Amino acid sequence: MAFINQNRSSIVTALSMLIGVALLFAGMSAPTAASILLSGITLAALYFLVASGVSLIFGLMDVLNFAHGSLFMIGAYAGWTFYTNPRLIFNTAPIGLIVVAGVFWGSVFSARISTARWMRWVAALVAIAILVVAVRGFPLDKLVAMGTSMTGKVIPTAEAQEPIAVMLVRMGVALAAGVVLSFAMGTPRQPGAARVAVNAAIVALLALALLFARDIGEQGILSMESDLRFVFALAFGAATGALIGALMEWGLVRPLYARPIYQILLTMGLVFVFDQIIRLVYGPAGAFMDIPSFFAGSGKDCPSPDVVSWLSQHCDSISVLGRPFPSYRLLIIAIGVVMLVAIVLLLQRSRLGMIIRAGVQDSEMVEALGINVRRVFTFVFAIGAGLAGLGGVVAAPFLGVYPGMALEFLLQAFIVVVIGGLGSVPGAAVGALLVGLARAYGDHIVLAGIQLPWMTDVIAGSPAIARASTVLIMVIVLLIKPTGIFGKKE
Amino acid sequence: MPNILQVDAIHTFIGQFHILEGVSLQVPEGSITALLGRNGAGKTTTLKSILGLTPPRQGRVVFAGRDVRGRRPYDIAALGIGYVPEHRAVFRDLTVEENLKIAERKKGDLARRAEMIFALFPDLKRLGKLRGGQLSGGQQQMLAIARALVPENRLLLIDEPSEGLAPILIEQLMESIRTLSAHTTVLLVEQNFRMASQLADRYYLIDDGRTVKQGAMKDLVNDRATVQRYLGAA
Repeated sequence: MAFINQNRSSIVTALSMLIGVALLFAGMSAPTAASILLSGITLAALYFLVASGVSLIFGLMDVLNFAHGSLFMIGAYAGWTFYTNPRLIFNTAPIGLIVVAGVFWGSVFSARISTARWMRWVAALVAIAILVVAVRGFPLDKLVAMGTSMTGKVIPTAEAQEPIAVMLVRMGVALAAGVVLSFAMGTPRQPGAARVAVNAAIVALLALALLFARDIGEQGILSMESDLRFVFALAFGAATGALIGALMEWGLVRPLYARPIYQILLTMGLVFVFDQIIRLVYGPAGAFMDIPSFFAGSGKDCPSPDVVSWLSQHCDSISVLGRPFPSYRLLIIAIGVVMLVAIVLLLQRSRLGMIIRAGVQDSEMVEALGINVRRVFTFVFAIGAGLAGLGGVVAAPFLGVYPGMALEFLLQAFIVVVIGGLGSVPGAAVGALLVGLARAYGDHIVLAGIQLPWMTDVIAGSPAIARASTVLIMVIVLLIKPTGIFGKKE
Repeated sequence: MPNILQVDAIHTFIGQFHILEGVSLQVPEGSITALLGRNGAGKTTTLKSILGLTPPRQGRVVFAGRDVRGRRPYDIAALGIGYVPEHRAVFRDLTVEENLKIAERKKGDLARRAEMIFALFPDLKRLGKLRGGQLSGGQQQMLAIARALVPENRLLLIDEPSEGLAPILIEQLMESIRTLSAHTTVLLVEQNFRMASQLADRYYLIDDGRTVKQGAMKDLVNDRATVQRYLGAA
């Protein structure tokens, strides 16, 4: 109730925008309108998963994270890889994790030694050189090549993997690279060296466990039933996003809080780095992830007449006013809604949420109360990145995985947060809905052309209209309310 | 009286600017100490330097026997320092209750101290559900001070509490600060010399980033020349 009172004008704006969009549906047949509406909400759910993170991170830390679309892409690739080719993960993750452990361990010592700037550069170069040695001749292409194998088929493991002993040597060298790298970073770490060392040990043990369990692990994942495997893939994609997000904040963004322009350059640079890494590992071509069997049934009863009977039939589509609607999209919508509720509950009901809301206004004062704000920053960055990663995996069976998805979703997410207001989660939800509906409506125009009541002929649309429409909404909202619908910050 | 806080010749830079050029002060436990000086003399920066919000490059800050210079602000505050910044920085989007709750360092801090806090500021009790941004200036100031009282702080740093308040509110506020000083030590920055002189036991006068004079407040009150020279007011 209090929320309604305080945001009355925002809510009025949001409602009138939605009514404006709804007017576009006037004169359309009910089935057509319903299918556009559902497609729009599906897209909105995906946009929300990316945009909510952008908005949270900007609200709390004033960091405009251009790499958020990349985190979405990384989540998609990670989930898809887990689902179809877990071997790649079991053979690469240990090396990556051990570098992280090395950086943590090194930071325990490097924080106590003050180094001149040129020494840091030397350390950085040495670290890169050691890292090159560590991964030299690594059979990445062989590991990835199996990624296109049929799903569900257990991949024979012998030839593509290197022997455990070779992997251990690589990991040893990678550990050294991590330690040297921490000297290159050289920023003072927070107190609690013992805890950092213990955390590093946990990461290192996890890396070893993954390596030694690689055969059993792979068999285990691939022999799982597809629905269960998909659930794990969702969790894995989200966790990968969160982990990379947390590392990004800790290692790269944190030293630049005092210099906002460098942050923008940094996160923009990361977009290209991640893009090239993905192209290097997986190649430029995209792939589709299989829809899990819960949403992929077929038979004489399909499409299911309604949602209740679908629950027992698991058809790949549901009949909505006589038109088939892919049932997998229900999952996308459900996840979007669940995450919206979860974020709102986190912000409004938990102590952490209270700290985040306070920090959005004045993080210095929060710190002066004795709260470790930097840890909260890292955590929020991880949550935002995890949401994007989750979104990536959910999107993978719907839109596929491809290197361009990073920029595509970055752009849409930015439009969404600008419309909704930077820093506002309800704003991100409303913005996502507007943009999603506009996109779906635009796609419809492209297919069917447009004929408003006073027009005699149908005007055919071009695909560019679908994209332009979202920017158009952004322009209109900014003209009416320059801070975005729910925005408070400039 | 032992000193709860001792600041030795700290130098603080903000960007390129050398703001503090050797500020020293001592705050005896249980007292109200006033930090005086004209606008831009470095009073606020001194408070922020003690907390590490603008970390000093040189000198020592000893709180409760520990050298805290170089520690992160949250770490210093958690040792038992409450901060009431200027401009009444309450959290506008949090309710009054949440504004108090967020200051808890141990679970149940607020419940333990509620009686004392609401005895000092009875108004806050009935305002619990309102948001910080909906309060009047005086109410916000009370909330900001109350917030600093939630955990068991041994020292409060209060920056310009009377700024922008009506005279009648200033009277109330003085009464509150006098009462709360029974529970905790106070280092008070105040432009309003009349208010500072009635509250504080001791004073430090800083000018151009240096401590220029110190002593008992009652001596300063009679030293019209000094007051005129450094504060420009009677």
